Amino acid sequence: MRRTTRALVAVSAVGALALSACGGDGDDGDNEGGPGAPTATTEGGNTGGAIDPDRKGPVEIEGAEAGGTVHLIDVTPLETMHPSEIYYTHTYGIGSGLMFRSLTQYVVKDGVPTLVPDLATDTGTSNDDYTEWKFTIRDGVKYEDGTPVTAEDVKYGMESAMDLETFPESPGFYSQEYFEGGADYKGPYTGKGAELDSIAVDGSTITITMSKPFPDMPYWGAFPANGPIPKDKAADPAKYALHPLSTGPYKISDYTPKKNLQLVRNDQWDPATDPGRTAYPDAYDMDFTVANEKIDEILLSDQGDAKDSLTFDDILGTDYPKFQEQAADRLVPGATPCTRYWAPDYRKITDINIRRAIALAYPTRAAIRAGGLIEGVNRYPADALLPPGTPGRADYTVVEGMTPGTPDPAAAKELLEQAGAVGYELKFLFVSDDPDAVNAKDAIVKGLEEAGFKATPVPTTLEAATTDRENPDKDINIRSAGWCADWPSGGSWFPVLLKTEDVAALGQISQNYALFSEPDVDQRIDDVLSLPIEDQATAWGELDQYIAETYLPLIPITYDGVIAAHGSNVNGHETDPTIGMPTFKDIWLTQS
Amino acid sequence: MGIPATESVADPSLGEESLRPSGKRGKENFHGRSPMQIALGRLRKDPVAIVCAVIVLLLVLLGVFAPIINNVLHISGEQSGKYALDIVESTDYTGTPIVGPPHGAFTWDHPLGIAPSTANDNLARLLLGLRTSLLIATLATIVSTLVGVVVGLIAGFSRGWLDRIISFVTDVFLAFPFLLGALCVSPILISYFGEDADKLATAQKFSLILILVIFGWMGLARLIRGQVLSLREREFIQAAQVIGAPTRRILFRELLPNLVAPIVIAVSLGLPAYVAAEAGLSFLGIGLTGQPSLGQIVEAARGYYDTYPLYLFVPVGVIATLVLALNLLGDSVRDAFDPKTRR
Repeated sequence: MRRTTRALVAVSAVGALALSACGGDGDDGDNEGGPGAPTATTEGGNTGGAIDPDRKGPVEIEGAEAGGTVHLIDVTPLETMHPSEIYYTHTYGIGSGLMFRSLTQYVVKDGVPTLVPDLATDTGTSNDDYTEWKFTIRDGVKYEDGTPVTAEDVKYGMESAMDLETFPESPGFYSQEYFEGGADYKGPYTGKGAELDSIAVDGSTITITMSKPFPDMPYWGAFPANGPIPKDKAADPAKYALHPLSTGPYKISDYTPKKNLQLVRNDQWDPATDPGRTAYPDAYDMDFTVANEKIDEILLSDQGDAKDSLTFDDILGTDYPKFQEQAADRLVPGATPCTRYWAPDYRKITDINIRRAIALAYPTRAAIRAGGLIEGVNRYPADALLPPGTPGRADYTVVEGMTPGTPDPAAAKELLEQAGAVGYELKFLFVSDDPDAVNAKDAIVKGLEEAGFKATPVPTTLEAATTDRENPDKDINIRSAGWCADWPSGGSWFPVLLKTEDVAALGQISQNYALFSEPDVDQRIDDVLSLPIEDQATAWGELDQYIAETYLPLIPITYDGVIAAHGSNVNGHETDPTIGMPTFKDIWLTQS
Repeated sequence: MGIPATESVADPSLGEESLRPSGKRGKENFHGRSPMQIALGRLRKDPVAIVCAVIVLLLVLLGVFAPIINNVLHISGEQSGKYALDIVESTDYTGTPIVGPPHGAFTWDHPLGIAPSTANDNLARLLLGLRTSLLIATLATIVSTLVGVVVGLIAGFSRGWLDRIISFVTDVFLAFPFLLGALCVSPILISYFGEDADKLATAQKFSLILILVIFGWMGLARLIRGQVLSLREREFIQAAQVIGAPTRRILFRELLPNLVAPIVIAVSLGLPAYVAAEAGLSFLGIGLTGQPSLGQIVEAARGYYDTYPLYLFVPVGVIATLVLALNLLGDSVRDAFDPKTRR
């Protein structure tokens, strides 16, 4: 999943910044890592394997009061809210939490997520080899205009998300990959009304036939892309995107794309049909144009509307000590299933020892601090590619004996000498108009040069950063990227990140930023996908270690944490570790 | 507006030597002095001017010798510098320095403390920033003065259509909003040189100077044009024309020396304006990013006004002192050059 935050943009062009994590009290003036992130973080993005297919609505929170308007203040622009295209963590969190129901959903309690039913009556039933999935859509669910939601609508929604030409950012490529016939299916808009036969509707039951085993279908079903869209009202996607019909507790009353979203209660939402969501506040007022410093100032002040406000953007490193002093109880730390990594261009940097030397040379902790991030709180050093908490994860370091986060310039230089590559030139992008990114770049250059590399940073701008990075012909030999697991399994990492990609056909890099291509690995990925479900988790962990030790295509730098905050009237604001966003489903305001 | 120097002692176009009768005059040993000498004499006697000149000179020297001073004091203003500190050892997990202020004790190793997040020495960075800012302001002043004077001379001396065109162009530039123009021009210039980090640094300096010049030459041009308009009907100019002196000679040998006073005044008042403008633009992120300059230092320190005040207020104080000293010096220079001032 794409995580768009100011920090990501800065970081993604610079290099994943690592926070030193784990243990150690920051107070003794040491350079120890942060205050010891909460257990959820040391567990990492515990997208957990917990599933409860029998959960029923309504959900009631003890002591919660109804009423009030919640103010959401953020700097990250709100990308599209069309359910077929939602794929950023913030649009997903808001969309799925408040507006768009789908087959299944996550509920979070004490930082631990559980998959429960949403529109489906359970979390799906499958045949033995996971090539056929059945979901029964429950009765009594209506859109905001009173029309009932049908299984046909869910089928149309799934098909719509597969229309990658109309919705280039859609996560529908999963359906294309796994649903039978998906690879050739162009979607209802580009395909002029074409339907996908492998999604069969019989009354209120949907049966999906897969082209290969897809044990993770229940998790994929939690995406708004697998929710209902009324065919007759969504004929014009651009128009529908301005006011998608809500099936959740809130509906749009006003929407300025990217900048502002106003939600009011959806009286057609029946809590008895929803095992996950609550609707205590009357309305949501969301502003996506507030600068970071302003967000921190407003929340610290805690006056007037600020008491009812919250943010999903990280607190700035400069303001974190102030929050700790004045408002420690209003800080919300949390985990995400996200890893940031450096992807050496596999076509250009061909010697694995040079890649190992990069891993040894990268000054993670210095780069985190230089970039204005908070070690141990919103970043911590990575070792394996799969983040902590992923079931079956193997714990290893990409080079034997290295300490994650702390560079070893001597060992790096030795490797370079062995490879005959002392002074090897590394060219990487950095965002020149973001001061934090520039500082982080300087720290990275310092670390690399100490280890014997020649570091050549190539400037880009905030506007152009993504385009430059996705250009396979750009004169750089190492790219920085991040990835957040779409569900708790290696199956949402390796097929997407490391399978051979046809860059020539796409014209740009999609997710395989290392341009890595090894038939051996492609085969092994397919092999794991066909294993029995109970064996897959460990198999992914082993594959992670195998790929890193044999090829090292990606150098994991940091795992992400979150450090959000809220005003004093806001309750129920925890971090959903499946995406690193606030638990919108549980929020209520203290009425004064 | 200064009075043409011809009002005072003698016609400077004849050179200073002709003014000074030799000591043969006898008793009085009267030395005729050129307007420049009179003005400098006045300045020498003005305490404010002396103090300000000393301060400015001190700051200029600090800026010019900044890298040497940094080496001698074993401090570094950049992360890759020779005496740069290790970030992980000098800061805590939030990037707050553990050496020196705000939480530690004063240390002579880092008299002004170190910066959060980057562990740069604040004094070193300040000196580097001073150097860059002064360089940019000086170059901008020199270039805009040259442009303004030449344009003003030509506009004032020519009659008819050329004057009108130049005046129109000057008015257009004057009407253009400075900040918006800077916001637009800067990214365009930088995108041409965006490929290389070192070229980018130079490109940013170049674009900043260009912006300052584009929006700064008009004042002096109008001033000079006004002066030339009033001078060109004077007898000595008409005499020169009658003799058949070429226009170029009239402009640069007859008129220009009369304009020294307003030029000097404009320069001395323009320089602080450019220092302040550069600080403002870099603060806004239009000017220099990623290289130390006074504005950039203030921008980085902005969030620390309550938790680490020293980090913010020292650079602010330095800018204020520099600009104030230059302004006061400029005032004194203006007073010194104006023969009508009573001392």
